[in-house]
Amino acid sequence: MIKHIVSALLLGIVAGYLNSNWGSIDAGFWVSDYMFNGALIALLFVMGLVFGLDKESVGKMRKTGLKILVIPLAVASGSIVGGAASALALGLDVVKTMAVTAGYGWYTLAGPLVGQLFGAHWGALGFVVNFLRELLTIVTISLTARIDKYVPIALGGATTMDTTLPVIVRYCGSDSLIAAFSSGFTLSIIAPFTIIAVAALR
Amino acid sequence: MILTDCSVRAGAGFVIDLRMLYLVVPLVIGILLGYLLRERRKVDLGKVSLGVIIVLIFSLGFGIGSNGELLKSLPEVGLDAVVILVFALGFSVVLVWAARKLVRLE
Repeated sequence: MIKHIVSALLLGIVAGYLNSNWGSIDAGFWVSDYMFNGALIALLFVMGLVFGLDKESVGKMRKTGLKILVIPLAVASGSIVGGAASALALGLDVVKTMAVTAGYGWYTLAGPLVGQLFGAHWGALGFVVNFLRELLTIVTISLTARIDKYVPIALGGATTMDTTLPVIVRYCGSDSLIAAFSSGFTLSIIAPFTIIAVAALR
Repeated sequence: MILTDCSVRAGAGFVIDLRMLYLVVPLVIGILLGYLLRERRKVDLGKVSLGVIIVLIFSLGFGIGSNGELLKSLPEVGLDAVVILVFALGFSVVLVWAARKLVRLE
């Protein structure tokens, strides 16, 4: 199945590239906005339905409760500390690199925001690092899901509430739904704040 | 990520994107409906429909392919980006593991 997912991703990239160069803006908007959001909303509904129908999942969620929030907090700290460590290893600016990794995979946010704060080069890094995070989470799902359901959730960061959520649920089962969605949701909310807060350290 | 203009100001220059909320609604409706229906009959919807996932991932790729700015910056910063990402992901996985041990999350 991962073959189908990766093929769909690659086909989409090629189609999007061709369309943006020689196609129509309307068609592009239709696919990357209406089609994307339609599929996402349908998937979230179906995933919710499957979760609600599963007696075990609901019970597990009750047992876990608010403890589940340690996951996004650990992902946030890990991303920012990891960013600092990589800056030291590469000899880059520590604060700027931490701002890049504080996007948690939300590249449409991190790219423009970091670019606005630190200029075009850092904006490009913000784009690419976070874009690769989403891409890597999808591409490696069949391997990481075998280790533990929290590994893809940690990798996915903020994307586990939308783009990588159906892929994670498909591989890790319905009981990963709430952990993944709440982690992605929390990280999406705090991403703009943490990017700006980290940038303010300078 | 597309509804970027759907945002509210939260003081001190911070802006909260409201895109999260339109995703919560279908999820909650699905969970409630599933919860209500489960005594009625045994329905096995199986896992999430692969067809819809394919459509979603295709349109995700489409957005990436259409993003000229992103594609242009890939070769320029690619190597640094990979190293930064490996560190960020490694620390994330380790801290999640440690946090779960700490609060005994199964």
